[in-house]
Amino acid sequence: MEQLIEQLKSQIIDALNFEDMTPADIDTDAPLFGEGLGLDSIDALELIMLMDREYGIKLADPKAGKAIFQSVRTMAEYIQANRTK
Amino acid sequence: MRIAITGIGMVSAIGCNSTETLQALRNERSGIGAMRMLQSVHTDLPVGEVPYTDAELKQMLGVDEPMPRTSLLGLMAAREAMLMANSQQQIAFISGTTVGGMDLTEQHWQDYQQGLATENIHLHEAGESTNAIVRHLSANSQEPTANSFVATPSTACSSALNAIMLGANLLRTGQAKAALVGGAESLSKFHLNGFNTLMILDHQPCRPFDANRNGLNLGEGAGYLLIEPEAEALARGAKILGYINGYANTCDAFHQTASSADGEGAYRAMKGALEMAQLQPEDIDYINAHGTATPNNDLSESAALIRLFGDHMPAVSSTKALTGHTTSASGGLEAAICVLAMQHGFIPANLHWSQTAEGLIQPLTHTRHQALHHVLCNAFGFGGNESSLVISAEGKDLSVASLVEMSKCREIEISDDTEVSAFVNGAEARRMTPQTRRIVAAAKKAMQEAHIDQPDAIVCATQYGCMLQSMRFLQDMIDSEEQQLKPTPFIQSTHNTIASLIAILTGNHGYNATYSQGKDSLACAMTDIRSQMALGLIRNALVLEFDEEVEAWDKVMQHIGEKTQNIAKATIITL
Repeated sequence: MEQLIEQLKSQIIDALNFEDMTPADIDTDAPLFGEGLGLDSIDALELIMLMDREYGIKLADPKAGKAIFQSVRTMAEYIQANRTK
Repeated sequence: MRIAITGIGMVSAIGCNSTETLQALRNERSGIGAMRMLQSVHTDLPVGEVPYTDAELKQMLGVDEPMPRTSLLGLMAAREAMLMANSQQQIAFISGTTVGGMDLTEQHWQDYQQGLATENIHLHEAGESTNAIVRHLSANSQEPTANSFVATPSTACSSALNAIMLGANLLRTGQAKAALVGGAESLSKFHLNGFNTLMILDHQPCRPFDANRNGLNLGEGAGYLLIEPEAEALARGAKILGYINGYANTCDAFHQTASSADGEGAYRAMKGALEMAQLQPEDIDYINAHGTATPNNDLSESAALIRLFGDHMPAVSSTKALTGHTTSASGGLEAAICVLAMQHGFIPANLHWSQTAEGLIQPLTHTRHQALHHVLCNAFGFGGNESSLVISAEGKDLSVASLVEMSKCREIEISDDTEVSAFVNGAEARRMTPQTRRIVAAAKKAMQEAHIDQPDAIVCATQYGCMLQSMRFLQDMIDSEEQQLKPTPFIQSTHNTIASLIAILTGNHGYNATYSQGKDSLACAMTDIRSQMALGLIRNALVLEFDEEVEAWDKVMQHIGEKTQNIAKATIITL
């Protein structure tokens, strides 16, 4: 799990173009949207695409992302449980 | 001056001319169905296609040279409007588009790499797709008509309404005696895949304003109005179909793809259009809504409608359930539909609606016979480019003006990056291309030095638009065979990305437009600004000149001896 979390942080930085950030800068349990990283709806779409590309998880409804993307940890847990690759 | 409409022309999934369109509207016949023309892998997505191949369209139009589908559809509708109006004047042609020649570029991408099909390359530009229409416009009309002025507004889905506004302003300032105004847009794999990455395409026929709406269906088509001063129309005995009585263009200044919850931009656009027409909300008989059927648009537009019309809500419908969302053409097509509805005394239905939900307006679900005096037509685009138009049965005198002297107040060009970080912070820069950062910095610096925080207008001139992100998305789409594409490059591929981004970053709700007319892009932007200043609509403007060097496109362009270049220049213009 910890390894997945670290890997996921790198993938998020890459997918969302956080050029000056390192995985250590992201708090595993901090909210991704609103406060915390301050992500928006475009980022949510990028995260949905990231899960599809890297883990073979397809979300048909963008609204479903809300619960999954609460924090890096909730996202990692969802990936762990649903990954197809 | 009263601005008369003396010709309309339209083509979409529901008909190739006014007669066919009228019949489909009256019979509530939708043109949305399975994909047959577009060669995409996403055949599960319903679309509103014009049911002819490019070859068939060329034959119908008597065209035998390479031409983007956007131009073919545009030509068909433009000719209808010209023939109907039968004006002998020099006619300004203003046609909005975003796709331009992208359909040819995506089909021939592999050829282009190898130096094949090079005769198509120059057609990629939005402005060139408009020029292609102009070259063939007069072929079937009785008298060849020289075009005095050609412009291509590219503000995503509000492009065609902005074309109508510029045309009206040209008439009011005596810069044109007649104008053919509207827009054209074909389907392309590029924007179908782009909208798909945004997860806003319904896999079923779209349901505007319905509680269970689940996105839009893309359509294609074109729509134009031939407008001229009433006095000219009467003098030559032309039949007047309606009048342009009011219009406004604003920016929601909220987000690159989402509309604000309270519909601030939409509210301001509709309010501005009513004010110019000197009408009260209760005077409006029908609103042709933008109504894309995405969860976000319909809720935001409803909020704006409820705020403005309150207890006086007129009949509202979105004709996109019939035609699909014809994106940059939608304002022209739907304005033409409004004129048809006014002429024949009916309100078109909003199909596929069954259930309301909190915050949504309730549209008219069946065609209703009713005399229409004043109708409002909305078109909203990415980046919050919102436009609204009032079409009336009786003309309202709009002020006229002679052109005025303008002065350049501050001119800032940024070509190296040392100054960028002073004006663009890390968080807001993360999605921007290097050249986007430069233009944002130039804009902010120009506003700061001119002591104008909120210019009345932000107008961008760009030959190729946001080419870096366009080429990224195109290359990824071709490499991946339309799978697993990232949304950000698409969102930032539209020509209006720069002007709307600056409005979003500075909270500017003012006039916002983008022109893509090759080397004449800046001249088009300046004509727009000069006209609005003369009419007292704006006192100052931020002008942006933007283009970016893109290796992938230069490899293609070398075959025709051209290349892209970096331009990031911001100028403040004042009276």
